[in-house]
This record gives sequence, structure tokens and C-alpha cells, in this order.
Amino acid sequence: MMPSTATAPSTEVSSPPTRRRRSRGNRVAAVLLILMALLMLAPFVWTALSVTKPTDVAFANPPVLSGYTPTLEAFKNLWETTYFAQYLVNTAVVALISTVVALVLGVPAAYALSRFPGYVSAILLLLALVFRSLPRFSVVLPMYDISRALGIYDTNFALAAALVAINQPFSIWLLRNFFAEIPKELDEAAMIDGCTRFGTLRRIMIPLMRPGILTAGVFVFLFAFQEYLTALVLTDTASKTVPVFITTQLGQTLPMLQQAGAAAMLLTLPVIAIAFIAQKYLVAGLSDGSVKG
Amino acid sequence: MRRREFAVLIGPSLLVMVGLLVLPLVRTIQWSFQEVTYGQVGTFVGLSNYSQALTDPRFGRAVFFTLLLTIVVTSIILVIGYLIAVGVNGLGALRPYILGSMLVAYVLPGVVGAVSFSWLFDSNFGGVLNLAIERLTGREFLWFTDTWPNRAMIIAHTVWHLLPFSVLMILAGLQGVPKELREAATIDGASAWKMHLYVIIPTMRGIIGFVCLITIMDVLRTFDSLIPLSPQADAIGNESIMYYVFDNAFRDGSQQLGLGSAVNVLSILLILICLFPFIRDLLKEAKTKA
Repeated sequence: MMPSTATAPSTEVSSPPTRRRRSRGNRVAAVLLILMALLMLAPFVWTALSVTKPTDVAFANPPVLSGYTPTLEAFKNLWETTYFAQYLVNTAVVALISTVVALVLGVPAAYALSRFPGYVSAILLLLALVFRSLPRFSVVLPMYDISRALGIYDTNFALAAALVAINQPFSIWLLRNFFAEIPKELDEAAMIDGCTRFGTLRRIMIPLMRPGILTAGVFVFLFAFQEYLTALVLTDTASKTVPVFITTQLGQTLPMLQQAGAAAMLLTLPVIAIAFIAQKYLVAGLSDGSVKG
Repeated sequence: MRRREFAVLIGPSLLVMVGLLVLPLVRTIQWSFQEVTYGQVGTFVGLSNYSQALTDPRFGRAVFFTLLLTIVVTSIILVIGYLIAVGVNGLGALRPYILGSMLVAYVLPGVVGAVSFSWLFDSNFGGVLNLAIERLTGREFLWFTDTWPNRAMIIAHTVWHLLPFSVLMILAGLQGVPKELREAATIDGASAWKMHLYVIIPTMRGIIGFVCLITIMDVLRTFDSLIPLSPQADAIGNESIMYYVFDNAFRDGSQQLGLGSAVNVLSILLILICLFPFIRDLLKEAKTKA
């Protein structure tokens, strides 16, 4: 069914019988895609159900699907009996700071890379790619050692700094592709009109790049917001983040497990909201930027 | 652009990357030749960390499992991702909803997604999927303690988590295939199957290669998801390379930093080998531009 749908855009050139067959193929494809989308949502929906059940039936086997009163008790417990609020603030602060810093550093660098001709750019870009693919532990374990030596272990600052560095290659890579789409003649025109290089970046490029910068910002924010490994190694109690908190609740008693589920929901909802709002930019950003780069 | 401008624009970013990525990396390489723990100066032991890793059967199992996971997941993702992207490309009004629901799996924090996923399969927590599968097949699977069922679950989770990215990228690529090319092929009487095989896929070689590369890189790094999905990863042979590093170099009681660093260096080499074709293309492109 799939191959026939691909030619849908060109149905206007095909003969009537083919068109009928194609539209049936399209319907089958649509139904399959809806099923698939529901399947993709299943784990999320299941968790949402589990955390809104009363604790005694939340994890009953076989699962209880009806006959209970939905409750937000788990959320209340989470808020009252754990340091969740603090972990959430930590996660948000770290994600926000690291996104802003990553963009402030990354935008000028990406612009320079997209305009400076020749080997230097290519080699730096190559390094960015290699660093993006590194096993995380190969930089995070030394960071742990260094942060202990400097006395900044378990602070939001250390975690944010680590995430800025870890996400920098990807930010540059993505942003550079967006900049590369903007014709160089625009820079030249601006500079003939009396703009300096930095003025061109500030007045012409950044306004033009708003969707691209937004896309990169959303990606970096999402990466930082959900980062587990780095937070696991670089934090202990004071700057623990929500993903780390969730895994420490696993294997505990059922109420605590349900709290973990509630925490998971609270961490996920803003992320989903951001993704939905920025969906247009994400898709457009990916198709205009990173692909053609 | 003048050199000075280039240096000013790129300097701060470069400084951060050198300080926080390159220097730690150098430290990892040094550690891999030392016997060392945190906060101490190590003693040089030559290649013994490497030989210890390479002769450790547990490491062998981790490598086998990681490569198995990578190959299976990448193939599934490329095939299914392409089919879904083609399907979504033919959709009208439904499209944003389908893409939106798929995005959820991608943006869900890795650990959260894995926890949710594990609950679907866990009979202790009233999992609905394990129950359904039991009813359908009449067999009871030990999803968390039996090697192959656990592998199947990990594979399913990894595909679930990484599929949306590849769909998005391939979809973007499909939109870049010139309409004239398809029309010409249709006029020449190409069937839909041949159209994809000989016209569309070759045009999108670059993007498919990129998706393949990113997927391989992401699966090779599998770590977060194993914490909830495979609590006894080591015992049942479903430990990833990164999990092995974590367990040996960070967990309390066994901080063999040298061994962990050696494994890190070995995985970097593996990754560089995977990246090689991509690197070569990039350099070639740079040479023609220069």
C-alpha cells in the first residue's frame, strides 16, 4: 500500500481507474498510519493512566481499566513528600541557561563557519561531527573528576557548563547549515551600505535566521531538559534533575513508583507542548537546514 | 571574511569546546594507560587496561549485544522509516496529527520513555502488552530476566524512540525530490515500486546515508534506556558498551577508571571507523570548494 501513496502528488496525470485504486491505497495507508501513531503514543498514554489511578489498583495485574475514580493523588504526594519541585527547578534552570549560552556562543561561530571559505571550516565542522558522536562517558567522567577538584561538583553551574559544551558541536552544525542557505551577496550588500561584519550579523543575519535559531534552541533545550547520563554523573543531591530522580524511584515501593510516573508526566508535558508549538519550525528547520547542508 | 573577524566570532565557542571537550578527552586517553581512580594521580601501566578489556568475556558480550542492537535497529528504522515517510507524504489534513503524535516518542526524555515502555511489559505493574502477548501466543515470556525476550523489548524500545527522527528526515528529503523526475518516470511507465527503487531512493542517497549514520551513532551509545528496561543487563548478557563503562568506572565499589577509559578509547575508534565514509565525503567536498 505504501508505494502507491507516494505518487499521490502526481495523480493529476494518471487515468481515472488508477486514480481510484490510488485513493483506496491512500485510505488504507491513512488507517495504518493512524494505528501506528496510536501505537507510538501507547507508552505515554499507559503511564498517564497508571498515575491517575488510586495507588492500590495502579499496578494491579491484570490491569484495572475501569471502575475506579481517577485521582491526582500521586501528583499531590510527589509534590508534598519529595523534593520534586527543587529537581524540576534545577532541570529547568540548567536547560534554560545552557540553551541561552549555547546560542550566544554558537550563532557567531556558525556564521563564521558558513562564510569563511576553504579548509578551516571543513575541518572544524568535521571535528564538530566527531565530537557529537563521542561516547558521552569519555568526556563526562573527566568532567566529574575536574568538578570535584574545583569544588563545583553537584552544582547547576557545572551541569549547565557541561551541557553547553556537549551540545555545542550539534548547535554549530545545525546553525551553520541554516546560515549556508542565506546568500553571501546579502552580507556584501550590507557591508557596502556601511555595516561592519558584526553589524551585519546582528542587524541582517540574526533577524533572517530567527526560525533557524529557534529550531536550534528548541533542540538544545530538549537535549538539556532530558539529559540523563551527564546529570547522573555530575550531580548528587543539591542539583539533581528530574530524569535522575525518576530512576532513583524505580525499584522502590509502589507509591514511590507511582510518584516516579507522575514526575515523568510532569517532565513530559512541557516538552510535548514545546514540540507541538515548534513543530512547524522543527520540520521546516530540518528540511531547510541540516538536510541540504 | 577577514581572519581577525573569523577568530573573534568563533573564538568563544572554540574556547569552550577545547576546555570542556578536548581536554577531558585527552584526560580519558591518558587514564586509559593508567591505573587510577578519581582525585588521584595514576600510575602508568602501558596497555594492560586494553588487554584486560579485550580478554574480559563480559566486555565481549557487551560488544556483541551492542553491535546486534545497532544492526537490527538501524535496518528496521531505515525500512519502516522510509515506508512511513512515504505514507505521511501522501497524507492531507491528517499529516500534522500523525507527525505530532510521532514527535512525542522522540521528544520524550529517554529515561522516561524507557520507564513507560517497561511498564507496558511488566507483569508486576499490570503491563498490558505482556498480557496481550500471553493471551495471543499462550506462552509466558520473561521480558526482564530472559535474554531474548529482553532483547526483543530493548529493540522495540530503541526503534520506537529513534524512528520519528528518521521519518522526519526522510520526509524532508522526499519533499526535495524534484517533481519533474517523478513525472518523467511515470510517463516512461515506471511502476510505483520501480519509481522508488530506481528514482526516488537514489536521489535521496545523501539523506538516507545521514539518517543511517545518526541512527548507528545513537544506538552505539545506548545507555539510559537499559536502566529501566534491563535491570539485570550484565547477568543476562544484554549489557551495552556504555553500560559496561558505567558499571566498571563509576558505580560505587568498582571504580576502575583506567579500564573504563580504555573501553571509551576503543569505542571512539569504532565510531571513527563508522564515520570514515562520511568524513571522506566531507573532505572531498571541502577540497572542491577550496
